Amino acid sequence: MKNEIRELRTARGLSQEDLAKKMDVSRQTINSIEKERYTPSLPLALTLARFFAKPVEEIFDAKGE
Amino acid sequence: MTGGNCSDNRRKGVGSDHDADDTEIHPSRWWMPLFSLFLGGLILAAMWIGGNPRDGLWGFALLAGVGALLLFGTRSETLQGLGGPGRDERWAMIDIHATALTGLVVLVVLIGAWLWELAHGRDGGPYGQIMAVAGLAYIVSVVFLRWRS
Repeated sequence: MKNEIRELRTARGLSQEDLAKKMDVSRQTINSIEKERYTPSLPLALTLARFFAKPVEEIFDAKGE
Repeated sequence: MTGGNCSDNRRKGVGSDHDADDTEIHPSRWWMPLFSLFLGGLILAAMWIGGNPRDGLWGFALLAGVGALLLFGTRSETLQGLGGPGRDERWAMIDIHATALTGLVVLVVLIGAWLWELAHGRDGGPYGQIMAVAGLAYIVSVVFLRWRS
């Protein structure tokens, strides 16, 4: 699924490791999401949206899959 | 809550935080290594009883090696994931897919072996019985998981 995680993360000066720790997932999971190889669960997508203070549909684009 | 820390949200396994404990199969990094050791011990005991302690020791050594690899292979994500601790929802998904794929391979082998036995004039055992157990287990699992979801 297309997403803006990499842009949002780098804009905040966070590494994948930093974001992974904040989301309580592995760095590889963040990497997989950014590379659009893994679609996060709804709870993780909502937590990411809350963390970046953006609506979830602005971060994830299901049509761009 | 930009910049907030969400580390209190345990995201182990597929599903919500609520059911995280339901999907946590390996609670400790010692679980899988100790299970490997236990399995090796069982193989050793069975082969010893069967009068073949030498092969039993090889089996035990092999599984002890696997256990050590899982315990100390902390630099590899794959070994970490196989070992249990540190799994997150992506690993839970990988685990489910890998289990399904393994089941498919086992099923294909079982059907092949069963047909081979039948083609050679035998009754197909024990492959037919194993497939019957597998089929029953699948149906019971589907009924249970559907009821639970």
